[in-house]
Formats: sequence, C-alpha cells, structure tokens
Amino acid sequence: MSISLSHLTKHYAKTHAVQDVSAEIKHGSLTAILGPSGSGKSTLLKLISGLERPDEGTVTIDGEDMTHVDPRHRDIGFCFQHYAPFRHMNVAKNVAFGLKVRKRPKKEIDERVGDLLSLVKLEGKAKSYPSQLSGGERQRMALARALAIEPRVLLLDEPFGALDAVVRAELRHWLKELHGQLHVTTVLVTHDQQEAMEVADQLIVMRAGRVVQSGNPLALYESPATDFVHEFLGPSTVFEGEVTRPHDLELVSVHLGQVKGRITSIVSLGFEAQVTVELSDGTSTWVQLSRNELSAMGLRVALLVGVRRREDVDG
Amino acid sequence: MKTTSTWALRAVVLFYLGVLIGLPVTFLVVKALGHGFGPFWSEVTQPNALSALKLSLEVAAIAVPINAVVGVGAALLIARHKFVGKRVLDTLFDVPIAISPIIIGIALVLAYSKIGWFGAPLTRYGIKVLFSPLGIILATMSVSLPYVLRSILPVLTEVGEDQEQAARTLGAGRFRIFWNVTLPSIRWAVLYGVTLTIARTLGEFGAVLVVSGNITGVTQTLPIYIFDSWDQRFDVLGSYSGALVLALISIGVLAILAALKRREKNLLVDFA
Repeated sequence: MSISLSHLTKHYAKTHAVQDVSAEIKHGSLTAILGPSGSGKSTLLKLISGLERPDEGTVTIDGEDMTHVDPRHRDIGFCFQHYAPFRHMNVAKNVAFGLKVRKRPKKEIDERVGDLLSLVKLEGKAKSYPSQLSGGERQRMALARALAIEPRVLLLDEPFGALDAVVRAELRHWLKELHGQLHVTTVLVTHDQQEAMEVADQLIVMRAGRVVQSGNPLALYESPATDFVHEFLGPSTVFEGEVTRPHDLELVSVHLGQVKGRITSIVSLGFEAQVTVELSDGTSTWVQLSRNELSAMGLRVALLVGVRRREDVDG
Repeated sequence: MKTTSTWALRAVVLFYLGVLIGLPVTFLVVKALGHGFGPFWSEVTQPNALSALKLSLEVAAIAVPINAVVGVGAALLIARHKFVGKRVLDTLFDVPIAISPIIIGIALVLAYSKIGWFGAPLTRYGIKVLFSPLGIILATMSVSLPYVLRSILPVLTEVGEDQEQAARTLGAGRFRIFWNVTLPSIRWAVLYGVTLTIARTLGEFGAVLVVSGNITGVTQTLPIYIFDSWDQRFDVLGSYSGALVLALISIGVLAILAALKRREKNLLVDFA
C-alpha cells in the first residue's frame, strides 16, 4: 500500500516538529526516515500512524485520505522504540491482542499466533512474560504483535536503537529478509545512517523538521543534495574547501600531489586505515586507505605526502 | 565499617518504630486482654460497640469504592490529558491531607446545615445530611479522597502511554484499553491506594465527630465509640477493646495486601 504525505506540518508549543513535509512512499518498499535527533522523524512517523494529528497537510494511504481517521481504524502496525510490550500478558497474549479486539474465533487466533511466533522465531516463548525476554526477543514479539492484524503499513520507530551491536546487526538482516517474504510497505525511523543504508530501499533524510532529500540510498550517497546530507550519509572530510568522501582521496609521494601535507595520525581499523594529514595551508583532512595501500606506501606519522583526488574509478 | 553503620541505622529505625508504634500497641493489647478474653469479648459484643463497628464497615463499603473510582478517573485525567486548570485540580486533591479533618467537618456542617448552600434545597426534599450516616459518609469520603489518586499518579506517569498507544494501533477502543492495558499495569498502585483509603476511612475521627452529632447507636462509628467510652462513660476496658478491634482490622487489611503483592511479584519483574 502506498503512502502519500502532503504538506504535513506539526507544531509543539513553540517548536516546529515537522514543517511542510511532502513525500511518497511506494507500495511494498522499505523506507527509512533518517535524521539526527530532533529532526522530526519520529513525529512524522506518528503523523502517519495517526497517534499525532497534523496541524496542516494530509496523510493518504493507498489513495484513501486518512488524515482524520483514528489510529485504531488505520490498519497500521506500529512498533514502538521501547517495544511497548503489554507487561502483564505473556508473549502469546501480546501477539493475540489485535486479533481478540477483532473478535476472531479462538481457533483461528491460536493458529495465527502459532504461525507468527514461528515466523519471528519465538516458538518456545509463548508462555514467557516480556520481562523474561531479551531485548531482541522483545523486539521480535512487538513485530509479531504488529503483524498479527495484517497491517497495510508497518511503522517502526528506532527499531534497533536499544539493542547491542551484535543483536542489532542480526535483527537488521532478519528484518530485511522478513520484508522480502511479506512485502508489506514498511517505514522505519532511525538516526543511524549505516542501518538505513543497509536495510532500506528508499531514504527520506530529515533535518530540523524538513525533508532535505529523498531517493534510493546509493543515489543519495553518490550525489547528496547538500553538505548536510553528504556528512550525514557517510564518512566525509573537507578537501580544498569542498566536502568530499575520504575514500575519494588518495595519498601520493610528496612531489606528485598538488597539495602537500604532513601525516599527523594513522588509525588502523582492520581492513581500512584512516590517515589524517595536516595540509600546508593549515587545514586538516583525512584519507581512507585500504590496509594494502597503507603498507605498500610505508606511511608513518610525520611523513610528508601529497594529497589528491582519486581518478574516476570507472575511467 | 559498612556492617557497623548498617546495624546502627537498623537499631535507630527499630527503636524509633518501637517507641512510636510497638510499645503503645503492646500496651493496648495488654490492657485490652489483661482481664482475659471473656471481658474483652463481652465488651466487643455489646450492642453499642457492635452497631458502631457495623456503621464503620458500612461507611467504608460505600466510601471506598466511590473514592477508588474517582481517584482512578482523576489520575487518568491528570496523567493522560492536557487541560486548563490541571494543576489546580491536582493541588485540590491534596487539600484533605493538608488541612485538619476538623476543618473539613466544620465546612461540611456549614454547607449542609438547614441554611447552607446545599443543605437548604436538600432539606426541602427531606434529605438529611448532618447527624445522619449520609453526613458521615460524606465526611469520610472527603478526608480519604486523595489516597488512590496519589498512589496511582506516579505509576501512571512512570508506565507511560506507550502500551495504551500500542493497543490503540491494534484496534482497541477506550474501554478495552482501560480494562485490558491501563488497569492491569496500575493494579498494585490501585490496591495500595485502596488499602490506605480503607485504613483512613475506618480510622477517621475529627471530621466525622463534627458532622455526626455523636448519637450513640445511630451515628457512632467505631473511633467515636472508642473515644466516647474513654472520655464520657469512663468505660476504659470498652475503649481498649474497641481500639484493639480497630487496630486488628487495619493490620489485617495491610497483611492481605502484603500477601497478594508477594504472590504476584515473581511474575512481573520490572524492566527498563
């Protein structure tokens, strides 16, 4: 189901949480709303869900104007940042909640809950309480609960924000797989660009309540519309007064580069190394090299080097 | 060092509790049962004592449920809604704690006397508030009003709105959200508040004394009966016996709460 947002505006007291936001979210896509904290991304998600009402603008889901429809009638699955499990219900009852509300027959509910629990790999935990689950398990339970009602749209607020790095990476991967199976239109909010790039097929980048740029992740990475998007979407540095990706720079022997500088630090991160160079004009930049490049050039701190842009890789 | 200071602190607390509560209650037990169980029992079962006990329980049976419902409602209103005058409402609920019950009693007398704002019209319909059980119920409700609200409000705020919003997105209506999501998450706070309300209701003296007119066998609650025995009739044993019964009821209520809490605690460990 496609979602269309048109000129959405939402104020809180004196702050503009969301300001004149328009966006199209394609049917079956996995879209990430990406932005730093306070950029209005969570508010935008709540506007789509109906948990917040816009001051101006419209929310259309699948061609139907939903702006004034109560969230309980929107057929959306919403996963909260801290999962909002019903603490006094066991996992099975949590997942069954939406179906019970819809007064489905008990047999059907039991079957569906069983299916969902195996989908999210929580078969053995049906009788556990949320307090007995790990963070990742709670997250999966929340997903199963949201999916139970067969929502037209799945909305996830910072879905992996509260998890440790390993579980996070696992769940990310799993979510992408799940989306591949179910094809339900999914919108997730995140402040983590890596997460967004890895999971989403569409990005909406927000800053200070406005959409700065949207499109597919690679396109945004390659041709960011503003310095902000450039810096936000990946590693960046300033070279000759321009924001650029550090892997688009290279180090050469001192007489070859147009710009000369002295290496001030080398940080090795496994396969890649970050080399910081203080340039002759007094500014500083950093260059991303592979491990092989680093050792082949025999780079060390205090060495004088030349810095230049890499030739076009395709050329 | 740590154990020494821990023990010292413990000793201080125990001593304090002992002086304030333990010793007086012990004396009460000794005095009430000092002449054996027989005299105690005949004091407790004499008609005026029984009718006072009955009235106290009846008043509690009416005042506690009403205050529980009002308290839960007001707490939800304050915790979940934005409206003008919210702070004023919140503060008003503290008035019964802040001011002496006797003031509440006198205020009720002024309002419900035959020439009072509410009293005059009610008298016309033949409804008598003062010097009747109705007045006692009103006075008791006034002084025990805040306890449920004050027990629930911090819990409601702490639990947050997420679970309710989740239920809403899953299609639940207001009533179902309250019954299946909100109430279970605050049930211990509600029970705790109700327990405090029961204790306050059974024990209220000042406000009730003023509005009841202290008519033996008709508008005498147990605390007033105890005071009356002591102060007017010089029936010291009757007073001690009544006091012991009242204390036992309150301790019983607290014990039930503690037992329930213990049972449930294992299942619902809080998490961040």
